[in-house]
Amino acid sequence: MTLAVLLPLLMAAVCALLARPLGRRTGYLAALGFAPALLLAVPLAGNSVGVGGTPLVQVTNWVPELGLEFAFRGDGFSLLFAVLIGVIGALATLYSVAYLSERERFGRFYPFLLLFGGSMLGLVLSDNMIALFAFWEMTSVTSFLLIGLWHTRSEARDGAIKAFLVSALGGLGLLAAVALLSIAGDSTSLSGLDLDAVRASPLFVPALLLTLLAAFTKSAQLPFHLWLPTAMEAPTPVSAFLHSATMVKAGVVLVAKFGLIFGTSALWGGVIVPLGLATMFWGSWRALKQTDLKALLAYSTVSQLGLLMALYGLADAEGRFAATAHLLNHAAFKAALFFVVGIIDHEMGTRETFRLSGLRRKLPLTFAVALLATLSMAGLPPLGGFISKELFYEAMLHAGPGFIAVAVIGSALTLAYCARLIGIFFGDFQAPEDDGGQLLKPQIHEAGPGLLLPPALLAGAALLFGLLPASAEWLTRRAGAALDFAGHGGHLYLWHGVTPALLLTLLTWGLAALLVWQAARVYFLQVHLELPISSNRIYRGVLDGLNTLASRVIAGTQGLALPDQLRITLAAAGVMGGYAVWRAPQVFQPLEPLPLSTLPIAVLLVAGALGVLLSRNRLTAVILTGLTGFGSAAAFLTMRAPDLALTQLLIEAITVILFLLVFRYLPGFRSLPRSRVRRVIDVGLAGAAGIGTTLLILASLRFLSPPISPYYLENAYKGGGGKNVVNVILVDFRGFDTLGEIMVVGMVALAVGSLVRLGRRGQARSETDTVPGTPDLQTLDLQQRRS
Amino acid sequence: METLFAVLIGLLVAAGVFLLLSRTIIRVVLGLAFIAYGVNLAILTVAGLRQESPPLLTLEGPYVDPLPQALVLTAIVIGFGTTALLLTVALRAYQVAGHDDVAAFGDNLARDPDAPDGQHADPEHLSPDMPEAEDADETDIQMAELERLRRITR
Repeated sequence: MTLAVLLPLLMAAVCALLARPLGRRTGYLAALGFAPALLLAVPLAGNSVGVGGTPLVQVTNWVPELGLEFAFRGDGFSLLFAVLIGVIGALATLYSVAYLSERERFGRFYPFLLLFGGSMLGLVLSDNMIALFAFWEMTSVTSFLLIGLWHTRSEARDGAIKAFLVSALGGLGLLAAVALLSIAGDSTSLSGLDLDAVRASPLFVPALLLTLLAAFTKSAQLPFHLWLPTAMEAPTPVSAFLHSATMVKAGVVLVAKFGLIFGTSALWGGVIVPLGLATMFWGSWRALKQTDLKALLAYSTVSQLGLLMALYGLADAEGRFAATAHLLNHAAFKAALFFVVGIIDHEMGTRETFRLSGLRRKLPLTFAVALLATLSMAGLPPLGGFISKELFYEAMLHAGPGFIAVAVIGSALTLAYCARLIGIFFGDFQAPEDDGGQLLKPQIHEAGPGLLLPPALLAGAALLFGLLPASAEWLTRRAGAALDFAGHGGHLYLWHGVTPALLLTLLTWGLAALLVWQAARVYFLQVHLELPISSNRIYRGVLDGLNTLASRVIAGTQGLALPDQLRITLAAAGVMGGYAVWRAPQVFQPLEPLPLSTLPIAVLLVAGALGVLLSRNRLTAVILTGLTGFGSAAAFLTMRAPDLALTQLLIEAITVILFLLVFRYLPGFRSLPRSRVRRVIDVGLAGAAGIGTTLLILASLRFLSPPISPYYLENAYKGGGGKNVVNVILVDFRGFDTLGEIMVVGMVALAVGSLVRLGRRGQARSETDTVPGTPDLQTLDLQQRRS
Repeated sequence: METLFAVLIGLLVAAGVFLLLSRTIIRVVLGLAFIAYGVNLAILTVAGLRQESPPLLTLEGPYVDPLPQALVLTAIVIGFGTTALLLTVALRAYQVAGHDDVAAFGDNLARDPDAPDGQHADPEHLSPDMPEAEDADETDIQMAELERLRRITR
């Protein structure tokens, strides 16, 4: 199992390296990455895990202290889904070899696809919840990359960002949910959670709601469905793989697995089932309106995901049994249909319904595949979709009359849009033209085997699941033990006898026939019946609002003139520091009698500071600064640090010389008064900084741990061969620090040198050379305000 | 003694911050120097001021803590480096702007002297262009579709 997750990730690197020499053949290499996932079918088929045996467990420690590990747990459901990912992933990869243009950047496409495959496999197989979250986020990121593959198109960028933002919101929800669950259940492992403790914990409801947020955003449920239709900007193999068969089902998987934890709560089903059914209705209603075949399939996916959500949300054996059966059927027919739309796009040059008709004559094989898949999606016998739709009706019948009504209407709409989809194959053939009457493709021919085989296999599976329901049931039963429906007595049959579900199916067909008969009126109604609010509008509003807010905050606080900017920074630091001082316990040392020698030092230090504040002459200011410098040198002496005193004296002398040198080129002190408000603010800030520093020093006088200095005192002579311990520390124990320091001084020297040379007349390219000086403060102020 | 120095250091830092916030560029540089004085003394003060021997092994022990002294020695030198750099930058800013009022430094320092139209050296990214809402202005498509459906069902 670990190999199944890791090999796609490894192959991603290999494909990235080999894409240039191999070109489109990289795809065959990439398909190999899914081989271990396909091999998981062996343990799945074996009785050891299938119906009731113990699951496969593989654990690799990562950070055991944090409870982080790669724990893969292959129970029946996880393995079933992993094999599904392997099958669709391999087919999508092979399909893309024939689908993508020769000029496509294979070095990006295949690595992204494999990275996604590996993360998705990790997501379904992970038992550790933190690793589960990590894989969850990785699928979001790779989905973002794949949607934005053709990033020169603005729609692709927009779609990628939208998909990422929405699923990142859910990702945050999942992180919080996982944290709450692991606190409440005292384990980071999904199988190790103490379920009774979780259910009794006050964190139960928040964790439940956050899990639902994650599942609904990932699986495009109302009101988060907005990202899936725009995600169709991705290449069609990606849409088939990520946005119909696997990634969007991650939310469904989450609901299925976590349903075993949360299912006891009435809130769980109470939220999921109505929202799932609402999504099912809304998705199929919108699908009926689309003219772009891919958009139609996208909304259809939204609708089908709603159906799956509703079934798993029931959190009983019947619902899980039906949902798992439908999950398989949906993966088969929806991926096949995406592949078919890809073929149509590829061969006809368009996928707009109103440009296409009579394709049956030109693409007979594609038509056969499309017919099978569409019949399954429509829930018509004798295909797999019919059987799972019957089970869905049964389950909803037990849930309540309101639910079954929505289910019937949603299914009728589904049938109607299936009719529209297959409608493009009937009628007279017309070569598709663009708006200007130009033919889109001069020659139209049937797709090659590379494009036809993957959908044909999937459509074959859809047919098999219908004609031989036992095959689908056998697969579904594999997940029985994991999802706790092993004891459910239901079976998959084409003919159940005359049951309420069958009558409802007949009703659905009647409704659908009405919808198809009055297609033009229904469409007219749809075009003119627009809701005033839509998720898209809210999304854009929030995004624009955030952008505006961010711009305003930045414009108001950043890029100001230096003093104002510093005031904001210092005020923020003051608030945080003040809070720390307020919370920290203050200990004041008793005042001991001061030695008389400290008095002149104090006078020197304070006199320098006060003098500079008051001085109106720059020369005085620099000399007074020197006074403080000498004061601190004297202070170093009383602190028993003769080296420091020496260094300070030396540096003080050089600094004064440097200032005097620079003064040659600078004007004298000007009187540049601050406004009254600013003066008050500055005094406040300076006072706060001073008091804060004093309190900080007093608070840090206590040692939290024994000092490490005795080591240096002991080893200075033995190890360093010097008797001045400070010197030995600098050149020996911490020699690299000193090396760094020397480099800093060297770099300063270089920078100073080049800055000074820039200023020389004749060489400089400064504004003073090209533009007359701008001493007029009035205009400068204006310019600044404009920015 | 620690309390005395704590208060003195507070005064130095307060003076430094007040200078830092002034408009004359030299005062800003001096302000930083004062903050540096304060911080250097603070590092030694928090280690505890005791009347013991300096850490020279030729003298009799016990010795004061040598480690903060080593740190401060580095800090003094680096402090000199920053002061020197700041001073040169101040000089350069004065040459380019033609005045020494830091509150009035702004656009003209940020502009790229090589660009003819006075553009910023680091132009901000324009926000990515957003397509119109997906349902906007699809009337033509919708009419074509309506035609088709009427044709089929008639």
